[in-house]
Amino acid sequence: MNNRPNEPSRLNEPARLGEAWVERAVALLDESTDALDAATLSRLNRARQAALAQRRPALSRWMIGAGFAGAALALLLAFGIGQRHTPSPAGAPVAIEQVGDADALASDDNLDLYENLDFYAWLDAQQQDGNG
Amino acid sequence: MLAQSCFMNGLDRMPSAPATSADESHEVERFLREAERRALRMAEFSTGNRAEALDLVQDAMFGFVQHYAARPAGEWPPLFWRVLDSRINDWHRRQRARGRWLGWFERADDDGEDPIAAVPDLGEQGPLARLADGEASQALELALRALPLRQRQAFLLRLWEGLDVAATAAAMRCSEGSVKTHLFRALGNLRKYLEAYR
Repeated sequence: MNNRPNEPSRLNEPARLGEAWVERAVALLDESTDALDAATLSRLNRARQAALAQRRPALSRWMIGAGFAGAALALLLAFGIGQRHTPSPAGAPVAIEQVGDADALASDDNLDLYENLDFYAWLDAQQQDGNG
Repeated sequence: MLAQSCFMNGLDRMPSAPATSADESHEVERFLREAERRALRMAEFSTGNRAEALDLVQDAMFGFVQHYAARPAGEWPPLFWRVLDSRINDWHRRQRARGRWLGWFERADDDGEDPIAAVPDLGEQGPLARLADGEASQALELALRALPLRQRQAFLLRLWEGLDVAATAAAMRCSEGSVKTHLFRALGNLRKYLEAYR
């Protein structure tokens, strides 16, 4: 097969060496590739296709991964939009509720409550015993 | 490197839009299709066995696609031949380990010959001149097989494949000076073997 992109280089180099027999040797080598039998060419073709096939699964896996990531992102967006447009049971705006939660968490009173939970539980138990 | 620049000129004619993966695969396939027959013959000169040569070429294709196909196309030729050269070297090591290496193939590169004696006389027509094509092909194949591995690779990569000295050195993982030395000795030895051919 002599239709190679680097043909000029191959012909020039032996000529540059000034040895005609090297040029003939290169021509004979080229002829030997043209003389390969069909079974060998078929085997070469299958080997090439098998080598190239290892790239295709990699692309497919990449595309599958990208598809899953896209679907997950779409679900997250849909869930977020759904949450934003769902009216709260009390009819209060969600943003205000969230601000209220933030205030409650930041309150010093609530911090004291959390630190003394055991005491309040004991107090509650004492009161229930007293009532009973 | 002329071989690479020719290849790149072909790529320059392609549309300027970014290549898709399908385009890339097509380019890789075209490159391998161009190189595979010579790769097979190169491996066959080393192994003396077509089935083993086919295995080596297939391994080289796999290795090239796996590790280097994503590189720019201009870098492919020395990389592909480097992978094949590596596979051929591995094959030789395995053969030596198994003790199946024939003695007359095992000539060391540094065999003590006077390098001046190997310088060809450019006034002669050459050792292939007296042989008809069929006979010359057989003589050339036997002579190539008789060459030490590194000399044979230097001859085939440099003169048949058309890689320049730097690319040949990259493919053979040696210095440019070593490439020149291997090629010089290969030419001398080939001439000697071919002249002795009867």
